[in-house]
Amino acid sequence: MKHTRTLLLAATLLGGTAVAAGATELSVILCGDARPADQAVVDKFQADNPDIKVSIEQVPWGTCQDKAMTLAAAGNPVGLAYIGSRTLLKLSKDDLIVPAEISADMVDKYQPGVLKTVSSGGKYWGYPHAFSTKALYINCDLVTKAGMECKAPETWADMIAMAKAIKEKDGVAGIGIAGKDFDNTMHMFLDFLYSNGGSVLNADTGEVTLDSPQTRETLQMYADILPYAEEGPTAWERDQMKDLFNDQKLGMYVSGPWARGQSKDAVPNMLVAPVPHGPSGASGTILITDSLAVFKQKDPAVQAAAQKLAAAMSSGDAQYDLDSSWGLTPIFQYEKLGVEKPYYMDDPFWAIFVNGISTGGPEPMVTDFKSLQGVFTAMIQGVMLGEGGSVDELVTQAAADLAEVK
Amino acid sequence: MSDQMVSDTASAPAVARRRGLSETWFAWLLIAPAVLFTAVIVAWPLLETVRLSFTDATINSESWVGLANYHELLGSAKFYVVVGRTFFWMALSVSLKLVVGLIGASLLAAAVPGRALFRALIMPPWVIPIAIGCIGWLWLYNGQFGFISGMGQRLGLLDGPFEFLAYKRSAFYSAIVTDVWVGTPMVSLFFLAAMQGVNRDLYEAAWVDGAGRWYRFRRITIPQIMPTIISMALLSAIWTFNSFDIIYILTQGGPRGGTTTMIIDAYKTAFGNYNLGEGATRAVAIVVLLGLFSLAYLNILNRVNRHYGVK
Repeated sequence: MKHTRTLLLAATLLGGTAVAAGATELSVILCGDARPADQAVVDKFQADNPDIKVSIEQVPWGTCQDKAMTLAAAGNPVGLAYIGSRTLLKLSKDDLIVPAEISADMVDKYQPGVLKTVSSGGKYWGYPHAFSTKALYINCDLVTKAGMECKAPETWADMIAMAKAIKEKDGVAGIGIAGKDFDNTMHMFLDFLYSNGGSVLNADTGEVTLDSPQTRETLQMYADILPYAEEGPTAWERDQMKDLFNDQKLGMYVSGPWARGQSKDAVPNMLVAPVPHGPSGASGTILITDSLAVFKQKDPAVQAAAQKLAAAMSSGDAQYDLDSSWGLTPIFQYEKLGVEKPYYMDDPFWAIFVNGISTGGPEPMVTDFKSLQGVFTAMIQGVMLGEGGSVDELVTQAAADLAEVK
Repeated sequence: MSDQMVSDTASAPAVARRRGLSETWFAWLLIAPAVLFTAVIVAWPLLETVRLSFTDATINSESWVGLANYHELLGSAKFYVVVGRTFFWMALSVSLKLVVGLIGASLLAAAVPGRALFRALIMPPWVIPIAIGCIGWLWLYNGQFGFISGMGQRLGLLDGPFEFLAYKRSAFYSAIVTDVWVGTPMVSLFFLAAMQGVNRDLYEAAWVDGAGRWYRFRRITIPQIMPTIISMALLSAIWTFNSFDIIYILTQGGPRGGTTTMIIDAYKTAFGNYNLGEGATRAVAIVVLLGLFSLAYLNILNRVNRHYGVK
């Protein structure tokens, strides 16, 4: 009897091992903070597909993309990764990812310009999963304390005047300018460049168009506003500024719609306004997406599982839950998906971010996105640290360096 | 017992001969694991790095480019700036570690109550993971919320918040301070061990002759532990030259390259921009420079050892 029980136990264990061995292991890297809406989709996916075992690793943005790319380069790719869409061109050129299987009937449901951020060679290289436009967040308590009326600055001159008043009142930084070696240093600059009619690359020819009066005016605006910005901007990236903003140490800064949720308790008297425009253009914003990329696998079952999970996570319902709960610019035109009154409808706050879609500019698509970022960081830090020459010279140098970026 | 051991030891080649192995082959057999280990861990990666340096390898492609990477590297003014900065970083950091380590070891060697506790208290910078330590330093250097800037303002030394990592010079020296903080405990403990090995009779004789503390330290302690000082200087120099994590966590080599040393430059080129060929060229340059430096240093070490009669 004792032996029979032992044999049964062994058989059960072996059987369990066999089942586990038959399961498809799908590793997923998600950049940034854990998001309940994504987790809910994964949980349902697991319940619906017991033969697929999903293991998720949450990695901070600073190192996440490098990790996903290095794993793939080392021949040990994850199945699926949520990464910045700027990486897709390089990953596709290096044959590390496979095209996304976005159905034809979903294509026209995306907001204008969204699919362009993942397209190359007539294929979609990722499932767009997060979309953002930017606006200016203003702490009205600091503005009124500085003796000014808290109303949206329309021009750069208005913005500088407001920052100056705040700074001169009691030394609090009037505006937050990102200058760290980080991607959003470039992104913030592009928010202002696109609000001055500037561009980086010719969309059709790929020719560098950065060396322009619009770029010079934008960089000059940085030079003019820096005396009223936070101390040592080269040590700050955009997402760190919410701490200064929430601590009443920053008058205003540019961020995405999620910043409202991050600051509504600490800064209840907050005004959100379109990015002020420069002398040569109208208010604009950078259009950025992050995507779910399916990495090429030796095992087709893993690749198929990754496509299936990516499709589930980026489906209309799942995206609506994510966008509305996390505070993202709507990635779909949800009216077309049958949502009667989407969260952004008839809401002046959301109108600022949704209106920005039509006037925004893209994140430049290049293979060597790290070098692109480096070119912008060097130019911006040049004006912040007072080295590398005048504004004219810095812009000329940046355009020359950009021409070298593949 | 002793004779038996000698007999056993002497019989090993004999056993090998009985099994048909010559003494030479038997010797090779004995060192084979070490040779294999060195080949896999050191030689193969090194040779692969050298090979990559002659290619334009990226993540998924490579082709032979000959000396093009070396031409580009040696023709770049930035490279020489980075090399100069790396040697300055190494010289300053190692010097500070040695001086502070020597002072620390002298204090720890002093016969004071609670000496064991002090010896334990200097361990944390060395024991805790560097990443954790650096995150602590990131907070200390923060201008708006950090301790140093806050204290500086309170004591009237600073007019307002100061971001230590925002400017090239302050970021560089801040990274040096953190590197010294991490590296000094080990240096102190090595010096302490060496000091404890110095013959006490020398101190007593000097004391009887009326020699003061400073004189005894200068003329007995320093010469007696000089071989240890030279050895630690060499080891510390190599570690500091290749110190990556501290700089990368604090500044990522910025702002505007102000804290970019050779190892940061190599990493950013190879794994930041995925130019593996160009990154490998920088790695080879590091190996060559460190090799030359080590040869020179070993030469000095031999002279010092001969001078002090150390075999």
